[in-house]
Amino acid sequence: MSTLLKLENINYSYIDGGMKRTILKDCSFEFEAGKFYTILGPSGSGKTTLLSIIAGLDTPESGTFYYEGEDVQKIGLNKYRRNKMAIVFQQYNLINYLTAHENVLLAMSETDNPIPKNKKGVAYALLEKFGIGRSKANRLVSKLSGGEQQRVAIARALGSNVDLIFADEPTGNLDTATEEEIIKIFKDLTENFGKTVIVVTHSNAVSKLSDLRVKLEDGQLRLMNSDE
Amino acid sequence: MNFFQRALKNVTRKLSKSMLLALTFFVIGNFVIVGLGISNAAEQAKVLTRKKMRAAITYQMDYDAFYEYVQNLPEDEQQDAYNHYPYITTDEIEALMADDRLSSINALTTLTAWPMDFEAVPLNNEYEQRENGSSMSCYIDENGQEVCEEYVWIEPEIFIKANAYPNMIEFADEMFVMVEGEMFSQEEIDDAAHVCLITDTMAEYNNLSVGDTIEISFESPADFNSSFNSWYQDLGITEEDVKMELEVIGIFNNMTEVDPTAENFEWMSKMESPENVVLMPDSVYAEYQYNLSSISWDYYKEMWPDDEYYQNDDNRPTMDSILSKTSVTLLLHDPLEVDNFVEEVEATLEGQFRELNANNETFKQLARPLDTLTLFASLIVGLVLINAVVIITLVTALTLKTREYEIGVLLSQGVSKLKVVGQFFVELAIVAIIGFTLSVGSGTMIAGKVGEEMLQYQVEFAGLEQTENEDEDHYIGNWNDSYFTEISLEDMVSEYKVDISPLIIGEIYAAGLGIVLISILIPSFMIMRYNPKKILMSAQ
Repeated sequence: MSTLLKLENINYSYIDGGMKRTILKDCSFEFEAGKFYTILGPSGSGKTTLLSIIAGLDTPESGTFYYEGEDVQKIGLNKYRRNKMAIVFQQYNLINYLTAHENVLLAMSETDNPIPKNKKGVAYALLEKFGIGRSKANRLVSKLSGGEQQRVAIARALGSNVDLIFADEPTGNLDTATEEEIIKIFKDLTENFGKTVIVVTHSNAVSKLSDLRVKLEDGQLRLMNSDE
Repeated sequence: MNFFQRALKNVTRKLSKSMLLALTFFVIGNFVIVGLGISNAAEQAKVLTRKKMRAAITYQMDYDAFYEYVQNLPEDEQQDAYNHYPYITTDEIEALMADDRLSSINALTTLTAWPMDFEAVPLNNEYEQRENGSSMSCYIDENGQEVCEEYVWIEPEIFIKANAYPNMIEFADEMFVMVEGEMFSQEEIDDAAHVCLITDTMAEYNNLSVGDTIEISFESPADFNSSFNSWYQDLGITEEDVKMELEVIGIFNNMTEVDPTAENFEWMSKMESPENVVLMPDSVYAEYQYNLSSISWDYYKEMWPDDEYYQNDDNRPTMDSILSKTSVTLLLHDPLEVDNFVEEVEATLEGQFRELNANNETFKQLARPLDTLTLFASLIVGLVLINAVVIITLVTALTLKTREYEIGVLLSQGVSKLKVVGQFFVELAIVAIIGFTLSVGSGTMIAGKVGEEMLQYQVEFAGLEQTENEDEDHYIGNWNDSYFTEISLEDMVSEYKVDISPLIIGEIYAAGLGIVLISILIPSFMIMRYNPKKILMSAQ
């Protein structure tokens, strides 16, 4: 397996109440392509911050991370977000005055990746695949349930035809049954679509289904043993 | 789903917010249209009135300044200064004519004459019955005998305008319209060709046509047969010497009309009639005048051998001194160029006892209410635009604050900042265009009403009464050498019409879109200077 994402000596800290808090300290790690990763760690360990950095939403104090061997800063963070990765948030982060279908189309329109000409049809098909039928697809996302919105968010992530998908506590707001469905979808993305999925979670149930579990501890990432 | 489509969806799906914003733009649009409409109408009224006024400028000697200058000279230099009276020279006139803005020029000598082999067109008024006549005058001679002689007077009947250049203002301004033949050329002027132009009525009355010859006299024929006037005899000037033959090379229609019901008509002489105007080259009359002046000079030089002035040949009349003028009238192509032209020429005339008059004072005085209106309207527009920027920026800033989350989402999807700004700009531009479009109708109506009320108030406040132009309707004679068109406040006020032109509408849209852009850019920059994570965290 080849390395898709490589972190090299990433440092990140912030000032909180006058005190400097170090989140990442010379953090280095390699994520392989086509795997389902979960990142675990205690609350406040910096999981979401780490995800923000590797998803190009924030910049580290120092250090470099590479996508397929290319320095992401050189790719350009905006281009990286548009063409290389997609992210699924705990809060879904959909545009509320657009329908489910239009939210998916938004991602498809912005990316420079090759997208089939029949964008509308593909967007409907993606939503259908995640259980959002045509009538729900044409509803404003604010009219959908939490689980449905998260499915729309996943469909949007796939819409831009990227190989790397991040998810930040994607099941945090969902009931157990829906949580299982969403995790199955992520699992399916790696197994059947060859995507690399990196999920930040505090849920053991979720992490158990992943291929590899990574722990963020003392500002460092390390692979967890199967018995941990 | 590009940024334009997203903008459209936002406008249509958040209708109440869009309508509120459109209403704000509608109100702002009304204020701007009222301001621009009033300002534009006032400016237009001034421009149209200025255009109505003939673009005439009088370039003349300022003898008051000259006299003041001479008075301040030492006494022994004063007489010499008076002997070298300043005049407008031919070179000076030709320098003015080199300006492209000049349409035509009148460097005129006006004089009266007597028709010898033709007749002036009659006016058939009361004065005509009395204008010529005779009276007996008696005196006691050296032998103590009473001698009585008849004194005959004959009024001149034709009025001559002798111009130094062929492009006369009257033709350029269609006060005269050529019917047949042509105006004398510069070559004919330079050669002092004995040619003339007569009116169509005079031609018809005398059965004259182009190619015929007429004879005029510059002195009254009666003067040569009277012992009361021995001057000509003393100088040896005969009746034939003051006559001149002129070939008719053009016939024109003098568009000036005489009102037979006017108060002064009954006392108008034939030479004052527009039908009895004859045009000839100034050089022809100058040549005649030069000959006469030379004879006169020689006579007085011989008669007064001790007179310093006549004994100094430097003071002898020359063709140049005769051709020089005290005033010339210039007509520009564009009335709106008058002010600039006057300003530029005046700047070159320092200490030369010359002045320009463009009848601007009347115009400026009458334009005062409109100027106040323009100032007020400009202030409205300025204040409204400043307020509009502040209000719209605040409204937009508040709106964008509620959309921080959306901005964060779009940026996290890799949408460029430019596209995000573009989307917000299109959204606001759509509602602005709707608001401004609706305000065009109402704003025009309000601008018309408000402008008229304010203009009326200004007219009353300025203490100017709207009077009829009394000079407009009747003719005041050929002697009137003013080429200024008299205007009244009523003329100017009547030109005041609020008409929202496409240009103003364009200006409103441009200003509106400018405000929209500013009001989008400032809050967008405030939000988007942070990275997407911070924006999303701030929104949550």
